[in-house]
Amino acid sequence: MREQAITYGVFAEQPESMPPIFRALFPLLFLALLGVAFVWSIAFEELPPADFAFDNGNEVQTVDPARATGSPENRILNALFEGLLRSLPEPGWEEKYGPDDNVPMTPQPAMADLPEISEDGRVYTYRIKDGRLWSDGSPVTAYDFEWSWMRVLHPESASQYAYQLYYLKGGRAYNTMQLENGDLVEVELADRPNPLQLFPRGTILHGRLKEIRKPKAPVIPEDASEERKNRIEGEWQEKWVYLVEVEEEGKDQPKLRAFSKKPRLSQPLYDGEIEPCMWVLTDFSKTVGVKAVDEKTLVVTLNSATPYFNELVAFYTLYPVHRPTIEKYGSPGWAKPQYLVGNGPFTMEFRRIRDRIRLKKNPKYWDAANVKLNTIDAMAVKSETTSLNLYLDKQIDWATVMPVSTIPKLRKEFGDQFRSAPMLTVYFYRVNTTRPGLRDPRVRRALNLAIDKANICQIITRAGEVPATTFVPPGLAGYESPPGQGFDVEQARKLLAEAGYPNGRGLPVVEILYNDTDAHRTIAERVQQMWRENLGVESRLRGLEWGVYLDAQDKLDYGVARAGWIADYPDPNTFLDLFVSDNPQNQTGWKNARYDELIEGASQESDPEKRLKMLSEAEAILLEEMPIIPFYFYVSKNLVKPYVRGFFNNVQDLHPLTLIEVDKEAKAKALKFGAGEKTAGGAR
Amino acid sequence: MTSNATTIDRSGDSAAEPLTSPAARERYEQLLAEASRIKGVSLWRDAWRRLRRNLAAMASLVLLILIVLLAFFTPLLPLQSPQLQVADDEHIYLPPNLQPVKLPFTAAQVAEFEAETQKLRQQLAQTTDPAKRAEIADEIVAHERRHPFKLWNNLGPLARAMTSARIKLFSDWCIPSICGRDELGRDVLSRICWGARVSLVVGVVATLVSLLIGVSYGAISGYAGGLVDAAMMRVVDVLYSVPFIFVVIFMITVLSEDTIKATLLQYGINQIMIFYVVIGAIYWLTMARVVRGQIISLKHEQFVDAARTIGASGGRIVFRHLVPNVLGVVIVYLTLTIPSVMLFEAFLSFLGLGVQPPDVSWGLLMQDGIKVITPVQVNWWLVLFPGLALATTLFALNFLGDGLRDALDPRMKNR
Amino acid sequence: MSRRLLGLGILLGKRVLWMLLTVWIVFTITWILMRLVPGGPYSAEKKVPPAIQRNLEAQFRMNEPLLVQYGSQLWDALRGDLRLSMKLQDYSVNEVIAQGFPVSAALGIFALTFALFFGTVAGVISAVRRNSFFDYSFMAFATLGIAVPNFVLAGVAILIIVFQWHLLPPAGWGSRDHIWLPALCLAAPYTAYVARLTRAGMLEVLNLDYIRTAYAKGLSPRTVIVKHALRGAILPVVSYIGPAAAGILTGSLILERIFNIPGMGSHFIEAASQRDYTLAMGIVLVSTILVYVMNMLVDISYAVIDPRVKME
Repeated sequence: MREQAITYGVFAEQPESMPPIFRALFPLLFLALLGVAFVWSIAFEELPPADFAFDNGNEVQTVDPARATGSPENRILNALFEGLLRSLPEPGWEEKYGPDDNVPMTPQPAMADLPEISEDGRVYTYRIKDGRLWSDGSPVTAYDFEWSWMRVLHPESASQYAYQLYYLKGGRAYNTMQLENGDLVEVELADRPNPLQLFPRGTILHGRLKEIRKPKAPVIPEDASEERKNRIEGEWQEKWVYLVEVEEEGKDQPKLRAFSKKPRLSQPLYDGEIEPCMWVLTDFSKTVGVKAVDEKTLVVTLNSATPYFNELVAFYTLYPVHRPTIEKYGSPGWAKPQYLVGNGPFTMEFRRIRDRIRLKKNPKYWDAANVKLNTIDAMAVKSETTSLNLYLDKQIDWATVMPVSTIPKLRKEFGDQFRSAPMLTVYFYRVNTTRPGLRDPRVRRALNLAIDKANICQIITRAGEVPATTFVPPGLAGYESPPGQGFDVEQARKLLAEAGYPNGRGLPVVEILYNDTDAHRTIAERVQQMWRENLGVESRLRGLEWGVYLDAQDKLDYGVARAGWIADYPDPNTFLDLFVSDNPQNQTGWKNARYDELIEGASQESDPEKRLKMLSEAEAILLEEMPIIPFYFYVSKNLVKPYVRGFFNNVQDLHPLTLIEVDKEAKAKALKFGAGEKTAGGAR
Repeated sequence: MTSNATTIDRSGDSAAEPLTSPAARERYEQLLAEASRIKGVSLWRDAWRRLRRNLAAMASLVLLILIVLLAFFTPLLPLQSPQLQVADDEHIYLPPNLQPVKLPFTAAQVAEFEAETQKLRQQLAQTTDPAKRAEIADEIVAHERRHPFKLWNNLGPLARAMTSARIKLFSDWCIPSICGRDELGRDVLSRICWGARVSLVVGVVATLVSLLIGVSYGAISGYAGGLVDAAMMRVVDVLYSVPFIFVVIFMITVLSEDTIKATLLQYGINQIMIFYVVIGAIYWLTMARVVRGQIISLKHEQFVDAARTIGASGGRIVFRHLVPNVLGVVIVYLTLTIPSVMLFEAFLSFLGLGVQPPDVSWGLLMQDGIKVITPVQVNWWLVLFPGLALATTLFALNFLGDGLRDALDPRMKNR
Repeated sequence: MSRRLLGLGILLGKRVLWMLLTVWIVFTITWILMRLVPGGPYSAEKKVPPAIQRNLEAQFRMNEPLLVQYGSQLWDALRGDLRLSMKLQDYSVNEVIAQGFPVSAALGIFALTFALFFGTVAGVISAVRRNSFFDYSFMAFATLGIAVPNFVLAGVAILIIVFQWHLLPPAGWGSRDHIWLPALCLAAPYTAYVARLTRAGMLEVLNLDYIRTAYAKGLSPRTVIVKHALRGAILPVVSYIGPAAAGILTGSLILERIFNIPGMGSHFIEAASQRDYTLAMGIVLVSTILVYVMNMLVDISYAVIDPRVKME
């Protein structure tokens, strides 16, 4: 604490000092002020406790289903919204399964009934059921779904998960703005009420694309930054002129009109009026495979038979959002608690950033009678230790994370409360196959073989994780992974020498990227040591904050990067299609034509056995080329208080809040008596 | 100037005594002897005497010297490696204990290794074929990478020498984990010692940076006087009201952005240097103010006039005459700034914005410690020992600074 | 009287101008730093097609020339519009600060009041009962409070108070119980410093003649101390309030993190780690203004209290 010299500043000319009465009053005034401030700071309106509180990890980035990615968002979105179907266990599951079993979940009717599927498996017809309402009382219609899916696919939404809708016919073309002469297109004119807001959109014209006139392609300097290249490219694209034969109302003949984003700049390319437009895209209503035939019927047309499409429909990207709200308040305003309109079991009562989101039961929800909780607190807790401490201090009833080092003790002392089961999730390192030294698959295989994964599972993660030799986790019905290779230092050394780096000599330093939470750093340090000891390969650690870490991976700005992948639906494809060449989630720079072929072929294959075989073959290629280094398969780890009912393990670690119930008496009793009641015993 | 002269006996004075008589000579000699015993006391000596009487300050001084020596000679001490992970069930989170521990290699093995390196080097010297030379050079590099001393991170030449000496003295014996082990089985005691090096160096260097800037600024401002002084002090006033911590964190975040870091690295500026400059830039304000105050009070002294008369330029006067006289105050504030800087570095490391692994600093250790406090598993040693180390050092520095301030306070002269 | 008020008005006006200057400097520095970082808000997040990047840039107004951007952002900031957060996609910077500020303010006021009150009381008792057991123990605690960093204190406090004695919750915000521990950890060093200042000031004042006169007049010790001595001794404490408030603001950065309190400090650290520059900049500006206002109030009150201060 530095003693600060007082600067009196420049006062006005004044020979005398303050009159005595000021001086006498002032201290009293000051004390009074301080007293008031103090009382204010203590005067907390105490929050009434919620029925149920749990820790929801990091603060959610957004509650917009079209833009969210991540499990914290998943839980909130499943509370606020609901899709055509929802994933639930079969009724009667409480009797059939014990507390440690994985309960299988299947898609069940939610907003709609289970669909009618056509013979060739490509057309799904969903019927919206009666009584499905938004939280403002208006009915949920098929138009809501069509509009919401369009919103996800619209390129301006910049949705990360848009590729989930590429299964729809024409979905990819719409999202990637592919246009070819002769395509049916939609033109959005530049007459939006708010040019910065996507919705409400400007006037939409329908027509057929005749031609795109482009000015001379710009010369992009080689050494320009990614951003600059993008900017130059973007500026060039803005000068394109689209010649479209537009359908006119009441007229048979379409009229040729010209559109451009920057008409004044593109005038030289066309003789005639160029109208300003926002977008020219393939016509959603005509080319994309989702159509609301009437208020209650939604017809979905897929590119090919996709056996897990129903599971996909129960995933949040495909949830509906309320169009009037978004068009009125714009993005991001509509997502505020006071405006948000959802169709899920809960609404957002308030949201305190980095503190909690309080959910309140939605009386308009169709199944509200079966929702047992009235208020839920989803706490934003960043540190695993804090999460555990809050659980032990009875501030939360369900802890989703806890420090790994405490797990053995928790198992022992809290047996019944510690719920754990194998999950369809894999922990792996992506390898940047474009980096020098990592281009050779032999090097990558050597790096893989030199890691003692059993040791990591035993010492660091310690919850019973299964060391991984393959990429797809076990437990998927009918699927058999190809055999992988375990810990083998000799073989690793041999491969490395074969690749031209005997004893690691000559191999550049490998950079290990991870998001900076506790266990990842520990694992990275361990790997660093293992590679050094076993192979003589040097590595350097780089821990970044979640958002920054995601960026870096996306830009291929890493050597190897820690990653995790949870199955979006219970099928090997959710894991394997990550590494198709053009999947934005690939992020390894690895491309393999045969692999792409197999995955594509599998998605078209209707015979389930053949299909799974093709996927297995693809996985074999993956394990041969090793653009990824699998570590272990997750085990779900949850701490749940004994007075909580309706909680069950499952392979995706989903715990629908609609099924959870709290025994109020038991909870009141538990809160009264001592701290940290421990339940002894417990299996495993 | 104290005088321990006794009253000179003049009783025997008589105007009629000749100066060269033996009696007179004897008296003069007596006088001279007495005079030579009168020691003039400089400010420093005076201050030192006062400091010596301040028990707390002296104890702190001794403690600090010990800490600095400990930090400096850490490679010489028979400590375990601060980064070696012994990641198995028996070693993680081990409480303080006296289990015997050995280094994974002995003195003999090191000697053997070195001998091999020597052999390779000789080979290199003897070969003339350039291709073969390149090959051997490569081999030497790879060989070096497997040196046992890789157990410690990036030893400088002096540290290496000390480590060699340590191996020769203690072979593979290590001090057991009396401060326990952390989540990866690393020894906490050695991490504290190696962390001391980083924390202390950052503290001292950043303070020196702030000293450099602050003293120059304050001296120039004080000496120049008038409008220049007013303007310069205005700048200081304005900067004073900026909550620097926020701006600094912002700055460090921006500067650790990878692209920027890469650009800076091209100019040879690495993260630690950024640290020094940025942290030093916060603390120079007080120094500037204090120095300016001193300079202003000294500016009108005679010695300055004298220097000016003989033609010394302004700069020379400021830096060669005035500044050395200000050193007293500067040293006091130096000693009081170092703990603030160290605290700030600990602060930053705690937030994850400071020193990065595998380097260790006290702040980082504290973060590791506090992260894992939970009732199920109270690893108190991870918090207590680094906390104690940090607190003790800060304590000692504060006490010493207070003591120095009292000692060098001119108002206290002769008391 | 009106002349005095005019003087006060001019003073305030000048201070406000200097505040604007300071804020402008801080804004410029942070803005330049922010622009040094390549890439924009979402454009850094994923490989967006060029057309989308243009859109995002338009939304964040980054497609204008740099100087125009600077000017418009400065103008917006002066009008109180700090724009959108880069990472918290549903919120604007103003909204985040509006949520976090009351929390940090409550914490800070609690800590400051505690520090001032207990520090003064401890200091007075120490001075009056000089060299007694009270004195030594208080001063020992004081030194402890100053030298021990507040996160070390927090760690130890959690170990003992939360996990050993189960007195208070370990983290969170939302009830009265949640404020005690972080506020006390925050206040500790400042309490210590105030105690020391008060003690030193009291000691000085108690030796002065007018105190002796007061005692001679027969006034009770309590009257003498509280009514007469304290007035003079309190001055250094008052002038310390400014730096103390600034220090509390800073200290809350770490403590809000440890105790998971959703205040401005915690938002700032998150913003810094997540590279949410707009939010971080917004908070820096707000804190600057805050600190400046506090200092200004302290200076004025100092001038008002101390009869010796001539307003020249």
